[in-house]
Amino acid sequence: MKVDGATLARLMALAQDGDSAAYRQVLQTSSEWLSGFFRRRIAPGAVDDLVQETLLSLHAKRASYDPARPFLPWLAAIARYRWVDELRRSYRTSTDELTGNEAFGPGDDELIARISLDRLLARLPIGQIDAIRLVKIEGLSIAEAALRCGQSEPLVKVNIHRGLRRLAALIESE
Amino acid sequence: MTPTINDLVADLTPVRRLTPAQAWTMTLALTIAAILTIYALFGLRSDVMAGQPAGIVVLRAGALLLLGSAALTAVIAAARPGVGQTSHGWRWALGAALIFPLTSLVIMLAERRLPMAELTSPNGPWCLGISGVSALAIGTALTLWLHRGAPVALNRAGWLVGLAAGSFGAFAYSLHCPSTTIPYVGIWYTLAVGLCALAGRLIVPRFLRW
Repeated sequence: MKVDGATLARLMALAQDGDSAAYRQVLQTSSEWLSGFFRRRIAPGAVDDLVQETLLSLHAKRASYDPARPFLPWLAAIARYRWVDELRRSYRTSTDELTGNEAFGPGDDELIARISLDRLLARLPIGQIDAIRLVKIEGLSIAEAALRCGQSEPLVKVNIHRGLRRLAALIESE
Repeated sequence: MTPTINDLVADLTPVRRLTPAQAWTMTLALTIAAILTIYALFGLRSDVMAGQPAGIVVLRAGALLLLGSAALTAVIAAARPGVGQTSHGWRWALGAALIFPLTSLVIMLAERRLPMAELTSPNGPWCLGISGVSALAIGTALTLWLHRGAPVALNRAGWLVGLAAGSFGAFAYSLHCPSTTIPYVGIWYTLAVGLCALAGRLIVPRFLRW
């Protein structure tokens, strides 16, 4: 079911006031959107856990949502925070294309482009992107990644470290 | 066990939304409390009490209020995140406030001597101490408030909490401060606010993690 941003904002406002039905719809829609948002940006086996963690954060931090503002950027800010946190810990593989906008209605395309994780990754130097994609997302070993991208093993490690720090800083700058 | 949507819905209770008014009210109330405490313990400047403050007093107080307000606005924005929603006004306010240390530097270079009177002023440590204690109260309250929010930029939030608290704390002290020279403001106020911002960066993020 597609839910537009204005409806989500209204539902979330109701949820903040304790409306269970509205909250259930917010969570279900958010869950669908988050699954797409994280797909191919984290190991497939970790997507569900990350979605759950993000929903848990949404629940814990629901007082911080301002109903006068769009819902999606707020959810995306929380999702990116959890994503970088997870990237720092996890490694695996995935192949699906990023979709992640199925749950939202028309008119959200520009917003979705702005908050995409690809866009965030694209702001890193190419060496760091390669290292993070190969090791953190595709699940290769450091040695395999070094062979694949032509970097030395120490450089792959350095690029992952610096790239993740840079991702966290990018989130801070937006 | 990972909570399901059903669990989260079952756990739902009404929440009090974070609003800018809460942060502003809290900060201003604590700033006023700091001023009243300083008044009770040390007294305020006679020109301030007479309602005829010297120009430098108005200038430094204005710069500190502007910087504190801009930093507080950014703290409030940090508590309620959103991709694409930025709050960079504090950078301009910080740039404006830096006019004092820069002017001090120019004066020092022009006079070709260190401002020894200001550097060794007995008021300096009091400036740091009173500003710091006031900032501690304000910063603690701001940190607790921000903890209820969802800051995604913890280091920056720490800087901003320290900057806001330090600016309002130094503002409270400025109404007592006997000095009226630009080098004094450029040295001691810059140091007071800068140290508070640094303390915020070092201390606050660990209380904001979620």
